[in-house]
Amino acid sequence: MFISLWEFFYGHFFRFWMKWVLRQMTGKCELQRIFDTYGGAQRTYRIENSLTYSKSKVLQSATQVAESELDRCVADIMKEKNICREKDNSFQVCMKTCLLQISGYKQLYQAVENVRKKPYDSGNAQHEKLLLKLWSLLMPTEKLKARISKQWVDIGFQGDDPKTDFRGMGILGLINLVYFSENYTSEAHQILSRSNHPKLGYSYAIVGINLTEMAYSLLKSEALKLYLYNFVPGMPTMEHFQQFYCYLVYEFDKFWVEEEPESIMYFNLYREKFHEKIKGLLMDYNTVLTLKT
Amino acid sequence: MSDLRITEAFLYMDYLCFRALCCKGPPPARPEYDLVCIGLTGSGKSSLLSKLCSESPENVVSTTGFSIKAVPFQNAILNVKELGGADNIRKYWSRYYQGSQGVIFVLDSASSEDDLETARNELHSALQHPQLCTLPFLILANHQDKPAARSVQEIKKYFELEPLARGKRWILQPSSLDDMDALKDSFSQLISLLEEKDLEAMRM
Repeated sequence: MFISLWEFFYGHFFRFWMKWVLRQMTGKCELQRIFDTYGGAQRTYRIENSLTYSKSKVLQSATQVAESELDRCVADIMKEKNICREKDNSFQVCMKTCLLQISGYKQLYQAVENVRKKPYDSGNAQHEKLLLKLWSLLMPTEKLKARISKQWVDIGFQGDDPKTDFRGMGILGLINLVYFSENYTSEAHQILSRSNHPKLGYSYAIVGINLTEMAYSLLKSEALKLYLYNFVPGMPTMEHFQQFYCYLVYEFDKFWVEEEPESIMYFNLYREKFHEKIKGLLMDYNTVLTLKT
Repeated sequence: MSDLRITEAFLYMDYLCFRALCCKGPPPARPEYDLVCIGLTGSGKSSLLSKLCSESPENVVSTTGFSIKAVPFQNAILNVKELGGADNIRKYWSRYYQGSQGVIFVLDSASSEDDLETARNELHSALQHPQLCTLPFLILANHQDKPAARSVQEIKKYFELEPLARGKRWILQPSSLDDMDALKDSFSQLISLLEEKDLEAMRM
């Protein structure tokens, strides 16, 4: 309760007066001061906060600007804050980059959500093609006897028909699985070859779908902001989300083997431990998470 | 976030002040019961438990291994150990029965004949398992919203509950994610059974 009171007090009084004093002292508005002091993800993150908490409607709406409106938006901000192009010529470029990153993140979430909401549909030829592609990537030497078959268990699905396993993640789960299997095929085969091991093994497909859920919820809860602001100097795309997913799969596999769990029954405990570890890494302003094979 | 939380916080503080003025101690803690939740994969265990905990069941994925949730009700807290229902996980079920005070069995009323038969076998095994046979069972005939869903009467007959579960305490209820009130009512009935069992144990 006290936190809520402080937030109210800070937002409505303290912040305004502090900014006024700083503007008088430095002759620059908050946005300019941030560009001068910070770089990388920290800069974009602070710019985003400054715009979101601003009293000005122009600044507030800048966080959701479409790419086509970008130039006009930056010009509006400069006019609103009385920033002179001649005196501060880097402002425009910096602001454009930041806005692309900020609104790009929101748009990426929307794009990922739209894919997640689509359930797997056996009547959709593209979905079926993708599913069969997954099989051929993971089991190149074994032919699938039928679309509904116990063989699916071999690549880590729970039953005869994989469509029942995607659930809340919809077609996003399958897209992620295919992407990892296609781009990191030898790693995928390694994980698969181990899946029957009593301790070190786990179901490739089901765990993959669980990790899709982890990546999705990190994106949704804005935990991926610092990572994407550092990694992508413009609008992040689905490709970047897929890359992050691959990082999770690869690191989770290493983590599982290191931890030596008693059996697959303890999956959720280790999943949570891994989740906390990742969240910790993502809170670092200088976070750079890349897959090192 | 802020407005609702401030109101809730003030209301709770008022409640505590009122109790203090009337010389009452802090409100009694709700009793807790340890339950195990089983059923075939896709029967709806994770979704039901998520919704009871006021979480969205939209992003639920298949449960691998087990997952523990504390489900709050008005007069009790149920610590539910939900066990995944995939073929390769079911063989481990009996290892996690120890310490349970009750069982929730969820089945998909609209599943295929084969799956329904598998569910029946699993339920019978559970009813006869030495660690579960004296415990109260809540059997939920889930997915009632699907057009192919069998009625509770059909389920009761097919699962041969009357002859098999005679002498045991069990409740068979229809359920679906659309009707949370009916679901909460089913759980209230289970809680009553759990309370009865507690009282019996105390008398002995």
